[in-house]
Amino acid sequence: MKNVSIWLCCALLALPAAVRAQDPPPASVDEKLEELDQKIRVLDRKIEIDKEAAAEKAKTAGQAVAGKDGFSLRSADGNFVLKVRGYVHFDGRFWVDDEKKPQAETFLLRRVRPIFEGTVYKIFDFRIMPDFGAGTTVLQDAYLEGRFNPAFRVRAGKFKPPVGLERLQSATDILFVERALPTNLVPNRDLGIQVGGDLAGGAVSYALGVFNGVVDLGNGDADTNNDKDVAGRIFFQPFVKGAGPFKNLGFGIAASQGDQNGTPTASSLPSYRTPGQQTFFSYRSDATAAGTTVANGTRTRLSPQGYFYRGPFGLLAEYVTSRQDVRRDLVSDTLEHKSWQLAGSWVIAGGEPTYRSVNPKTVFDRAAHTWGAFELAARYSELTVDDATFPAFACITSSARSAKAWAVGLNWYLNRNLRLMFDYETTEFEGGAATGDREDEKIFFSRFQIAF
Amino acid sequence: MSHLKFLSTAALGLSLLVAGSAHAAEIKLLNVSYDPTRELYQDVNTAFAKAWKAKTGQDVTVQQSHGGSGKQARSVIDGLGADVVTLALAYDVDAVANSGLIAKNWQTRLPNNSTPYTSTIVFLVRKGNPKKIRDWDDLTRPGVSVITPNPKTSGGARWNYLAAWGYVLRKFNNDPAKAKDFVGRIYKNVPILDTGARGATVTFVERGIGDVLIAWENEAIFAVKGEHGDFQIVAPSISILAEPPVTVVDKVAAKHKTVQVATAYLQFLYTSEGQEIAARHYYRPRNEAVAAKYAAQFPKVQLFTIDVFGGWTKAQQAHFADGGVFDQIYGAGR
Repeated sequence: MKNVSIWLCCALLALPAAVRAQDPPPASVDEKLEELDQKIRVLDRKIEIDKEAAAEKAKTAGQAVAGKDGFSLRSADGNFVLKVRGYVHFDGRFWVDDEKKPQAETFLLRRVRPIFEGTVYKIFDFRIMPDFGAGTTVLQDAYLEGRFNPAFRVRAGKFKPPVGLERLQSATDILFVERALPTNLVPNRDLGIQVGGDLAGGAVSYALGVFNGVVDLGNGDADTNNDKDVAGRIFFQPFVKGAGPFKNLGFGIAASQGDQNGTPTASSLPSYRTPGQQTFFSYRSDATAAGTTVANGTRTRLSPQGYFYRGPFGLLAEYVTSRQDVRRDLVSDTLEHKSWQLAGSWVIAGGEPTYRSVNPKTVFDRAAHTWGAFELAARYSELTVDDATFPAFACITSSARSAKAWAVGLNWYLNRNLRLMFDYETTEFEGGAATGDREDEKIFFSRFQIAF
Repeated sequence: MSHLKFLSTAALGLSLLVAGSAHAAEIKLLNVSYDPTRELYQDVNTAFAKAWKAKTGQDVTVQQSHGGSGKQARSVIDGLGADVVTLALAYDVDAVANSGLIAKNWQTRLPNNSTPYTSTIVFLVRKGNPKKIRDWDDLTRPGVSVITPNPKTSGGARWNYLAAWGYVLRKFNNDPAKAKDFVGRIYKNVPILDTGARGATVTFVERGIGDVLIAWENEAIFAVKGEHGDFQIVAPSISILAEPPVTVVDKVAAKHKTVQVATAYLQFLYTSEGQEIAARHYYRPRNEAVAAKYAAQFPKVQLFTIDVFGGWTKAQQAHFADGGVFDQIYGAGR
């Protein structure tokens, strides 16, 4: 028994040594350092690979962008883009010296227009712009445009027909709160198909389209007859590629033509409005054939137009004639109404005017003592109704024979997105009242514009 | 409606003008390839452009895109406008063909199953072979750090994996369980998986990680002759014959109107000049005369083909599909 105990003790004493003998030989310091070095290198490399993978992923990932031009989502290759833009016009209208105010003085949301536009498959653009202004909902723009080539674009849907110079200017860029009288004689928006493009590096622009054919100042969503209008415009900016004094000189001519035939319940004829948005001319209408003037054939519009901007000064001019065959009962005629405007602007500080508004060189920042840009503006416009209109087709006691308006304005561009506008405009009329001339319209406008 | 007729005529005329101006543009090809072929195709492209110019008078520019073979195939399927693909393995080309961009019979359109050159898989070790790597068994030893890319994204990695698997099948009389265990032990020694073969070479050669790189033969020779350090090649007793295929991406080339020049580009790879270029970049040429001329630069290795696995489709499904053997062994080992 004693021998067994001795052997057991020896075995227990020897056990740790035996176990140690089966372990791998202890690593040297160099080997441990080498092992640690490899671990660090592996970690570094994994980080490197992760970064490469992230960079690779970023190439194929879309981008979300927010900035002064709005908000956008863009695919990595730029072939798919969605932009959310919009603008709001908060206006004030106050009559000056009018004993009998034609309308209540009011603040109003003149335009509330969210804009959804974008690109699919690289060359196909779309734009959807409703308007919730003045308490109504109107779809202003909804179109698709294929950009096959700078010289060849095809647009289909609802948009501005290529006729009026000031009408084609965005509402965010116009010089005054309300457009001038010639806008009465051109279409506002219509449904149609248009080809257009820029030639010679933008020196020549053209547009030619087929449209339903809306009345002057009209904004239509469907046609009321089977005939269509053709509208076209060619515009030259011969020095646009240079840096000379005439770089921002543009001039051109636009026209539209189509057959329009109305009925006593849908006359296919327009009314004309003052800058204060009051109707000052309309054709006779009582829903009977004998008492209603209707469109009776060809309508032709013609508009030479142009602008010139140099340094702080800008000038915009357009002339429009709208010629329309009309009939009332057994009497028919061809009437030609004419209108023109000349508008000048002077940016007295902080920027230069262009057809696309003023891009202020600084933004309003009291701390930095920067104020944005200030612009003075003046305009004269008039609209003359064809003499033959009276008395057969319109009543001289309710429709004016002519309107002549002059306006002055001050625009303060706080930055690219915000603008304050203050205008005063007086319009004189010939005829349009039970006795003599319609009372002059004197109106003060204010506008707070936010556009993004 | 005379206005409409006028508009239609004008639009048609302008469209023809646009199409005509596009047709006059310079010929461009895009070759979407796998990771280690950058230098090969730089030389091929220059030589082909010269030959094409001499033959037709036309200028042609071949652009290159490189990455893991599987990832490149996915990019082509997703819209990358490749006129030709020169990928690491037939399965990846089949994937593109299954998307409808390439005719199903693509492998029969050029000689040697549309593989103008071959390669194999070897080991690259550090100078002096400090871990005494001699064959596949040595990669399973504890303490041996093995660098190989991810078979999910890299064609070369799939060749590496199958080369090891094929070795074990031969050694253990086609016993898949032993093969799975053996390959699993190799991947336990892999500390990092790059997405492509060139990335794995960077890991081993430039970052100094690992004891052995399982690599394309051409990539290993390229590293040995490179500037980043002292390496040597160890040829295993058995390896796989890697056959990287090439083909025209029919629908893209048709759309680009480049079918003729794209086909000529790939045929150029079979010419003596093309084969010489491949050999100079350490790809094994198909042309016997060129192969004999460059035989000395290639180690002698006993080679088996993908047929051991029943072809690429079966190999892919069994080993590399989601939930396949690779997922089982690599997931288990992590």
